[in-house]
Amino acid sequence: MTQSQGLRTVDPVTVEVLQQSLVAITDQMFAVTRRTAMSSVIYEVLDFGVAITDGDGALASAGAGIPAFVGMLDPAVRAVLAKYACDEIQEGDVFISNDPYRGGVSHTNDVVVSMPVFHDGMLVAWTANKGHWMDIGGSAPGSTSPDATELFQEGLLLPEVKIIAAGALNKALFATMTANSRLPDQLRGDFWAAIASVRLGAERIRQLCHRYGREVFRAAVRDYLETAEQQALRGLAAMPQGQFEAHDRLDDGRPLHVRVTIEGQRFTVDLTGNPDQEPGPLNATHDATVVSAQAMFKSLVAPHGPANAGTFRPLRVLTREGSMFAATRPAATGLYYENKLRASDLILKAVAGVLAQGRAAGHFCSVCATLIGQADPGQPGRSFIEPEVGGWGARIDSDGKTAMFSTSHGDTFTCPVEVNEARNGIEVERLALNDSAGGAGTFRGGRGIDLRYRILAQTGWVTAAYTRSTVPPWGLAGGHEGTVNTLQIVRTTGQMETPGRAASLPLQRGDLVWILTGQGGGYGDPRQRDRKAVIDDLKNGYITRAEALGPYGLRDRDIDGVTA
Amino acid sequence: MSRIRLATDVGGTFTDLVYYEIDEDSGQIASFNSVKAHTTPPHFEKGVMEAVARAGLAHEDVEVFAHGTTVVINALTERKGVRTALITTQGFRDILEIARGNRPDFFNLRYRKPEPFVPRYLRREIPERLNYRGEVLKPLDLSGLEDMMTEFKAEGVEAIAICLLHAYANPDHEQAVAAEVRRLWPEVAIVASHQITREWREYERTNTAVLCAYVQPIAQDYLGRMEDQLSASGFKGAFYVMQSNGGIDTLSAARATPISMVESGPASGVLGAAALGRLIGENNVIALDIGGTTAKCSLIDHGRVEITSQYMIEQSRLSAGYPIMTPVVDIVEIGNGGGSIAWVDADEKLHVGPRSAGAMPGPVAYGQGGTEPTTTDANLMLARINPHYFIGGEIEADLNAVGAAFGRLGDRLGLSAEDAARGVIRIANNNMINALKLVSINRGYDPRDFTMIAFGGGGAMHATALARELNIPKVVIPAHSAVFSAWGMLVSDLRRDYIRTHPMRLSDDAAGPIGATFAEMEDEALQAFLADRIAKDAIYYERYLDLRYEGQEHSVRVPVPCVRITKDILKEIIARFHEAYEREYTYRLDNAVELVTFHLVAFARIDRPDLARLPSDNTAEDAIKGRRAVDFDTDGICDTLIYDRDRLDAQTTLSGPAIIEEAGSTTVVFPGQMVRVDDYGNLHITIEEGRHGARTTD
Repeated sequence: MTQSQGLRTVDPVTVEVLQQSLVAITDQMFAVTRRTAMSSVIYEVLDFGVAITDGDGALASAGAGIPAFVGMLDPAVRAVLAKYACDEIQEGDVFISNDPYRGGVSHTNDVVVSMPVFHDGMLVAWTANKGHWMDIGGSAPGSTSPDATELFQEGLLLPEVKIIAAGALNKALFATMTANSRLPDQLRGDFWAAIASVRLGAERIRQLCHRYGREVFRAAVRDYLETAEQQALRGLAAMPQGQFEAHDRLDDGRPLHVRVTIEGQRFTVDLTGNPDQEPGPLNATHDATVVSAQAMFKSLVAPHGPANAGTFRPLRVLTREGSMFAATRPAATGLYYENKLRASDLILKAVAGVLAQGRAAGHFCSVCATLIGQADPGQPGRSFIEPEVGGWGARIDSDGKTAMFSTSHGDTFTCPVEVNEARNGIEVERLALNDSAGGAGTFRGGRGIDLRYRILAQTGWVTAAYTRSTVPPWGLAGGHEGTVNTLQIVRTTGQMETPGRAASLPLQRGDLVWILTGQGGGYGDPRQRDRKAVIDDLKNGYITRAEALGPYGLRDRDIDGVTA
Repeated sequence: MSRIRLATDVGGTFTDLVYYEIDEDSGQIASFNSVKAHTTPPHFEKGVMEAVARAGLAHEDVEVFAHGTTVVINALTERKGVRTALITTQGFRDILEIARGNRPDFFNLRYRKPEPFVPRYLRREIPERLNYRGEVLKPLDLSGLEDMMTEFKAEGVEAIAICLLHAYANPDHEQAVAAEVRRLWPEVAIVASHQITREWREYERTNTAVLCAYVQPIAQDYLGRMEDQLSASGFKGAFYVMQSNGGIDTLSAARATPISMVESGPASGVLGAAALGRLIGENNVIALDIGGTTAKCSLIDHGRVEITSQYMIEQSRLSAGYPIMTPVVDIVEIGNGGGSIAWVDADEKLHVGPRSAGAMPGPVAYGQGGTEPTTTDANLMLARINPHYFIGGEIEADLNAVGAAFGRLGDRLGLSAEDAARGVIRIANNNMINALKLVSINRGYDPRDFTMIAFGGGGAMHATALARELNIPKVVIPAHSAVFSAWGMLVSDLRRDYIRTHPMRLSDDAAGPIGATFAEMEDEALQAFLADRIAKDAIYYERYLDLRYEGQEHSVRVPVPCVRITKDILKEIIARFHEAYEREYTYRLDNAVELVTFHLVAFARIDRPDLARLPSDNTAEDAIKGRRAVDFDTDGICDTLIYDRDRLDAQTTLSGPAIIEEAGSTTVVFPGQMVRVDDYGNLHITIEEGRHGARTTD
């Protein structure tokens, strides 16, 4: 409570004006990055975030398009503060970092720039920006490779170094960065987009300090964190107390487990009982697992309102060092996001039966990141990476959402077919809903998609590693399971291949890359589904005739003359 | 004898009508008046005719009738359109449902994805395929259409949207499908995507065609009824419909693609601000329109109104909404108007809006049962609004109820009633300042280079405080500021936007193709205008190119001169791009520049009479109607002179603190601010610079 003492002298209206301004500033930082970035994973997929922290690196306001990026930037600021003495951090400096084990959290592609904000010589805040850069070097194009076995293969490591010192660009370092990248133009563009956003944020914060006074600004930030904490605690107080467990399986069959304990003002996520880290890049750092749990916690206790360091104070996350949720350096972490998604999916499964926000069957639970490259002789190769949309689980009161990105995404956009074809020289042969059977229930699982890419260049390659490729999303309360995510290759000869994990799998002109993302799980007994809704589903082709007659229990004469 | 030019703006509550009477002999405007009538849904034309009747105008004297309507947006938001089907490329009927997969309310697991306007069983595919160059990969097969039409008829379909992949590059297949559908079923409403836009992004274009088809029969009926009633009443003049792009257009054009009317009301206000700016020599303008439920702002750079084709309906932090790819004046709108309700959340934080008290019960002061204080109530509480001249004296404000409401609000916050009212104004102002920053500072414009033109019922009340905070040196409050949006239609030219995505690198040899494409587009525009019997010498053009660094997605719009495109001109265009890009994004790159989209604006000039000038007989003192103590927040409570705006003559001056009252609005002048009345009755208010010392830009 000592934190609110200073506020006594600040009127509530000014506090509110300042807090709204913090939100407006992160919105502006977000918008400027989105408009200026060179990489489509930033401007379309929104694989980036911006943040303001207080002077100590506690998150005050995050501008993100996806929940997975809230809480992802402040560890980098704290890493800078741990490394540099006060007098080494100066006005106009910008630090750059991407080491997942040193405040970088995620994987080497995600580069953080952070800028101290000074007012009259005093450090009052930080602005930070983190975006997925297309290529930061390393053993494979795009830096992320399913074959990587060490962090060092995943690109140039930037250990929170000064890329801009007192306003002057460190040209030697920048030249090193561009020289290490296969896509130096994109790197340059993404870098300056990030710089524009942290500078804009810093300038706005200086104006606020100037207009309202530095101490008033700091008091408003403290109050903002406290407000968020109170919101979280109110949400927590409304939850049932107790221990909730969930089990699941990795695609290779190894068991997964979570224990969520809600006790008083504590929400504890225990992920210690999970498999060892793997030799490949499917590893998350402890920090990444925490960020994932934070996002799910926020969704469960207070889906609206501020998300900052205060929100996460009641949360504890336990992991086991050396496991898939707390890998040890130098394990590769390129595909960390699939583990992160697993962690949040486990939490959701544990509370699915008991918490209002969570009353849903499982969703397709994968980023389904797909990297496709093409090359013609004598021409530079080109590639693109995209996440895919899939089906969400049915809820206690409604059908699952159709064709959405995973729960760790948010305001992420698919790439339009027309833009994709023009930019990437590929042909999209089909983009439709997945019409296979699955996810039946009183409320039906949402539909995944059926996406087919035809290779037009002489040669190509595809990299993908989808989670839930053998274990489908769970059904709830009698609802059926959904379906798995699959990647298939149809060769020009007609031969079909189903690679579990494709690492730069070679392709030829005319080959088809066929992606099916899963249907979400169903909720409740399908025989209890409203009969008219079943007939409408059949008419719309959301279910097959066999499903209507099978799990949904209609008779032939009920659906006489109904065609999709 | 006089001739009449009038404009009607159908709003949610009131239908505004403004008109000029033009003296036959001098050709000058003899008078400028406005009346209001109640809006009469669903038969909006009744309210319009009622307004004409109230003004006592003879229809045969009306030579220009400009009309803005919310009929399209209402049909969309209330889901009152017709049953619509979609025909699209084989393999892609689910584009409309997949949409873009985004979830702006990203912590909310219960998010609801917007439902497509066409159910899956009415989305049909047709064999055909183009590539991005517009080349045919698979020929069009129309043979299935006859059966499809039979099924559509059986399903009660009334409108058909057509959107095929890459039709922006080559509309041949869409045209062929449309022609065949027309042949098979002449009565059905048909909209093909290329008729509205030739920009890429298939989900946005498909949704645009679908929404347009969905409202077309509704808009057709409405415009038809308007036309019938007007001609029955003896009207023989020209009838124009206000468009979202800030121009007016003919009835026949509005009927073909009614979706272009979707944002006609707000657009006309911005256009009016641009026109007024030209008249008074202000080319850099920030237009601010504060109404009952929202505040809207838009930036006018060197006289040019910014247009966007990334317009959305029902989009918010909670919903992805629906895109409409039609040119719309680029407006930032927030839920902050006179009727916005102040409230305290669970964390004891004060907020204003976006919920509004609307017309019923309205602000607490209306005495119609409202108990939650609004921004208007706060302005009354601070005596900025005259309780005895509330809404032009129509009702006596219930000050006791207002005081009690702020007392309750203050109790929750530990503030006095007065401080609570001041707080409401400050928070409302802060919300608007953030919106104003979005259109100015965020895009690299320095507010000190702009004049704010403020209108709508609440514009004059807040503009001076906002301008001071943003260091905007001057505010102009137009004559008849409360109905200024309708006035905008009377100063509007016919305007049609032609937009085409046609990606190409801006190398030296691009000059030829660019010139050729513009020439082709100009010819298309010319033929369309000539078909509407518009004189060739009234037509003029503006050209723009959307450019970007190669590899980037988002582009910057750059104006292009209407001359032959040579290599030198191309160099100049590229230089302008770097400049515009750097202004907006603070850096420039050495990367190659790529052209994405051509944008041609075709105008047909409408002759406008000169505005009448006010007399300059009296001094400001002659307009003083009283004095009262007014609360200017941090500037203190001042004994303040109250002026009657209708009695302020040309070239009079006065200084703040002052309140200037007119029937629909109140102008608040802070201590130290100076007011000058120009020849046309507009108030020019000089804002004292550096009051807060905070510089808003570098």
